[in-house]
Order: sequence, then C-alpha cells, then structure tokens
Amino acid sequence: MFRRTVGFVKAVNDVSFSIRLGETLSLVGESGCGKTTTGRCIARVYNPSSGSIHYQADEGESVDLAQLDSRELRPYRRQIRMIFQDPFSSLNPRLPILQIVGESLKANRIARGSELEDRVAALLKRVGLRHEYIRRYPHAFSGGERQRIGIARALALNPKLIVADEAVSALDVSVQAQILNLMQDLQEEFNLTYLFIAHDLSVVEHISHRVAVMYVGKIVELASTDALFRSPLHPYTEALLSAVPKPDPRLRNSGVRIRLEGEVADPSNPPSGCYFHPRCPYAQDRCRHEEPAARQIRHDHWVACHFAEELELRGFEAIGSTPDVRQARARAQPSRKVPKT
Amino acid sequence: MPDDNETLLDVRDLKTHFFTDEGVVKAVDGVNLSLKRGQTLCVVGESGCGKSVTARSILRIVPAPGRIVSGEISFRQRHGDRIDLARMNPRGRDIRNIRGREISMIFQEPMSSLSPVHTIGSQIMEAILLHLPVSKAEARKRAVSLLDLVAIPRASEQLDAYSFELSGGMRQRAMIAIALACEPQLLIADEPTTALDVTTQANILDLIRELQEDSGMSVLFITHDLGVVAEIADEVVVMYLGRDVESGDVDTIFHNPKHPYTRALLQSIPRYDSRAGERLYSLKGTVPHPFYRPAGCPFHPRCDDFIAGQCNANDPQRYNFSAGHSVRCLLYVADDDRSLRDLPT
Repeated sequence: MFRRTVGFVKAVNDVSFSIRLGETLSLVGESGCGKTTTGRCIARVYNPSSGSIHYQADEGESVDLAQLDSRELRPYRRQIRMIFQDPFSSLNPRLPILQIVGESLKANRIARGSELEDRVAALLKRVGLRHEYIRRYPHAFSGGERQRIGIARALALNPKLIVADEAVSALDVSVQAQILNLMQDLQEEFNLTYLFIAHDLSVVEHISHRVAVMYVGKIVELASTDALFRSPLHPYTEALLSAVPKPDPRLRNSGVRIRLEGEVADPSNPPSGCYFHPRCPYAQDRCRHEEPAARQIRHDHWVACHFAEELELRGFEAIGSTPDVRQARARAQPSRKVPKT
Repeated sequence: MPDDNETLLDVRDLKTHFFTDEGVVKAVDGVNLSLKRGQTLCVVGESGCGKSVTARSILRIVPAPGRIVSGEISFRQRHGDRIDLARMNPRGRDIRNIRGREISMIFQEPMSSLSPVHTIGSQIMEAILLHLPVSKAEARKRAVSLLDLVAIPRASEQLDAYSFELSGGMRQRAMIAIALACEPQLLIADEPTTALDVTTQANILDLIRELQEDSGMSVLFITHDLGVVAEIADEVVVMYLGRDVESGDVDTIFHNPKHPYTRALLQSIPRYDSRAGERLYSLKGTVPHPFYRPAGCPFHPRCDDFIAGQCNANDPQRYNFSAGHSVRCLLYVADDDRSLRDLPT
C-alpha cells in the first residue's frame, strides 16, 4: 500500500499464495487489479506494508523477504529476477547489449573483461541471438529481439525465480509464440520457477501450471490451469473466460457471453462485502455485507465466494480447433512433465 | 471502378510510400480490398505490415513524408456518386466534407486521441456543427442521445466530463460517439480494443456490432488479434509487408487458408485444448527491416514451403482461388499455364 496525499490505495490487499519449485504460476485479472504490484513486492521493488514473503533459499531454510533490509536482500536479488512488459522502455538506450546483460555479472564481481564478454555471448546464444550483436545498442533490435535481451539479462545470475510481468503482451502473435517457447525451454533447462503476470487468458492457459485470478487487490480464485479453465468456481473467473474471443468464426454465437456491468471497483474506496458483488450476476444479500474468505473447496482449488458450492459455472468450452492447427500440433514436440509438487 | 451499388469502398493497387532521408519505405505496396455496404472487413497482420497506413491513406491523413504514389480508392458517396479519394487534395474542402461525415475513424489509444482540454460534449458537438446545419442547442441534444447510444451512463452529466475523468472503456465509447455523430457510411476502427481489458473489449465489440446492425454502416476493422477477427469479420484481408497476401470471407480464411503466412499466423495462437508444456508453432525470423525488403515474394525468407529459384526471384501476382478468395503465392501459380498446386502438407 502506498502513501498518497489523498489517502491509501490498497493496491494489493491480503493476498496469500505460494509458488512451487519449477512451476509456472500465473496471475491474471483486469488492469488495476494489483497483479503487477504483487509481482513487484515479491521482487522487492516495492516494500509491502505488511505481510510476509517466504522464500526457500538454497540451504533449505526459509527466509522472509519482506523483513530483510537492502543489504540482507542482496543474495536473494540474484535469485529473483524480473522480465518487463515493454521491451522498448526496459532497456537503457545508451548502453550496448554487453553492458545491459553483463551489468549484474560485473556488479556481483562474477566476471569481467574477456570472461564477461564470453559469458554474455553465451547468454545471447542461449536466448537465440547472435553473439556478434554484443556491441550493438537496443535501437538496432526488433521488439522480439529486445525481449530476448531482457530474458538474457534476467538469466545472467542463474536465478531461481523469474517474475515475468506481461512479458509477451506487447509482441505480435508470431513473435509471442517464439518467446513463449523460449521461456518454456529455459524453464526445463534451468529448472526455473515463473511468476507469470498476464491478462491474455489464452497465453496463460498455454504456459501455466496453476493460475490465480485477482480482482481489486485480492485473489478470488486459485487452481490448477485445467480446473480453473474447465470448472471455474468464482463468477468473476467465469465472466473473464466467457469474454475471451475464440479464434474460430464458426463458434461465434456458440457460447454464452456474460456481460459485466459497470466498472472495476475503485481500490481506494472498495465496495462493502465481496468486492465483486456490484457486478456479479449471482450476487445475493449476503454478498453485500459479508466479505468471503478464501476456502479450499476441491483439492488444490481455492476460491473466495460464499456460494461457490451452489453455483454451476461454465468453463471455457472446449474449442474445436481447425485441422491446420491439429497438424501443427502433431509436429510440435512432445509435452514435458509437470513438476512434482 | 466497380459500378454496383453494393460496394461502398474499393481499393485497387494502393501504394503509399514514405520518402525519408535514409530512403524510401514502401509501407503500402499494392493493396487491394473491397468492402460492401453493411459489412465488416478486417485487416490483419503483424506490426509494420502497413495496415494502419492503409487506413490512413483512405482518409488521406498519411503523415509526411508519406504520400500515395499510385492506386485508386473508389468510394461511393451518400448521394450515389463514386469518387476516387486517392486523387483528392488531402488539404482540400472535398476531403474535409468526407472526413467525419461519410467516413469516421476511431483509434487505438482513446486517451491520446481525445482532447484533454475539451469536454466530451464539446468534442462531439464540434463534429455535428461542422457537418450538419443545426443549432448549438440541437447539437447538444444530439450529443446526449449519442452518449446514450454508446451506453455511457448518466449521459447528460457525462457530456461535461473531461476525458481523464473516464475509464478506458468509457473513453473508447466516447470516441465511438464522436465518430458516429454524423451517421457515417464507413467507420474505420484502428485497433480500437487493443489497449482494453478482455471484458471491456467484449463489450466494445458488442457495441460496434449492435450499432452496425441498427445503422447499416460498413466497418473497416484493423487488428492483429485473430480472436477478434473471428468474432466480428465478414471478410478478411491478411497483410504482410505492405501487400494483401490473402483475402477472403472469414470462414475461408480460418478453415481453408491457402497462404503459408495465414496458416502460420493461425497456428501460432495459443489454443485452449493444448496440453501444458506443449510448444507453439512459431514462424522463424522476424518481419524484415523496411529498407531491406526481400526480392521476389517478401515472405520467402520466413516461409516453410519456400521454392528456391522461384520465390526469391519472382513476384507473386494475385491469384483468384475461388470467387472472393485471392492469394498471392507462387505455390499456386508455379507454371505458365497457371496450374494449381496445393501446399505440401
């Protein structure tokens, strides 16, 4: 929560979740729901006002990142890195790629001189860029290539956890596919854990093991990707899923679209009870007065809704894909194992 | 020029080039499209393919140093005459009578395309007073009903609101209200939902569809999101490096695409029934730099079905696959006798 002259904005309020080693957890929600703030608190770009962030360090002991001061944080900053949304504004235009990617190696006294160059060249190669590019400046690269540079920078210190904040949102669909594939390859190779922040549900569905849905600073539902997309338990999740355009004209009028009336609630002046009740088609009296607590309803499926057991919500209908897409899929590589939990 | 009454807009071989100090950028280099009355035509392609410049060429608002080099933009006016917009003086009175009156445009960024120092109401009234012989009071009444039409709540109060007081979705609704002020025949929408959340996007798409049903206007919709195309298009034009590489009706484009680029675009969308960890199909390489346009078919360096000696040497011509379905690809016109070859699968 940040201090403003006009009052407090509870950008992220009472959010609890855990990320398992080697998994991709996605945070989804509309703009202003606090997903970016959550990610930045974990990377300690922002300081949380209260709460704890437990991080399992190498030696097995768990540390609370929220309590550490900047000097104590240093070893963990190596392990938690960020990838940003806009590949144009997140790279310093006045530094060559060698410095952008190598800065953290130099600052941590890991490599310098020709060794630094070799390491940066190896990183560039790993993300699919030519090592000759090492002395070029960001303006010489396209959006997709810049995002690869951002990924190389995040990888430089062998991190454990990567917070990817809308990492593919600004990219064209063909480039987006390249970057998503690269991120999945890197996850396998280095056993990375991703906190993937996104608003595009089809991308989220593709890359995540588990998904958390946020609304006005709170997590309203958290479940495995399959469970969340097939059988959502929160009305907001249902509405989000129904709004996704389906890439097949033959399905145009097939699904029922739930129109959300009104606007996202103002986080500085949230509604009483359940924050979603003014827009919820199923809202009842209880929702106006009583705030729902997050409950585990099915195995590993958490939801904050009073009526989660009673409502019968629709999931993302199985979309009949076109024959061309099936062919492409047959050509794709075999699927990988889901990490042990 | 087409002489049937149903074709509202017909663009033939449009070329818009930018004459920069470093060289000529052929942003639009031979685009053909045709839009019927009451229909929605989607122009899709990756950034830099020239879809926005095509739209701006139609309204003659291409920024300097760009200019239309050749081609024809035939538009059927309200009273039935056909005119060639490409020949008009972009600063002249004639084109100003068409902008906002017969053809309107809405943009991607509603925040930067609305004036921050004028109220929503005064911006709508400006459009009305410019084109219609009405009094200020009548214009104000009309502005209120327009805000009602685009489902902005408390319309008469919101008329005096400034754009920064509205949310993203409401701003885009206000933009649409301005565009519809004079009941245009053609609405050009340049990525109008790209900056919006998925729930707001769904509402705006519904709104455009409803307005179109009521008024019978045509919509030229520019987007890179194939999901949106599947939702709203009647006809689709796929663009790559300033060319229309494939055009056809929406069902053909999604279920019987012929151009390797169209196929690649469709395959790279993440789909619901994919399994976790599965790799997406991805096009190799990136869109080439505008100064280094590949010879022959501009798509050949990224194409999986590239024929050496053909695709890098010959410029593919438009080939009509069936009525209304045309493709620019040498796989289908390999020989002089124009015998048809299908894509290897």
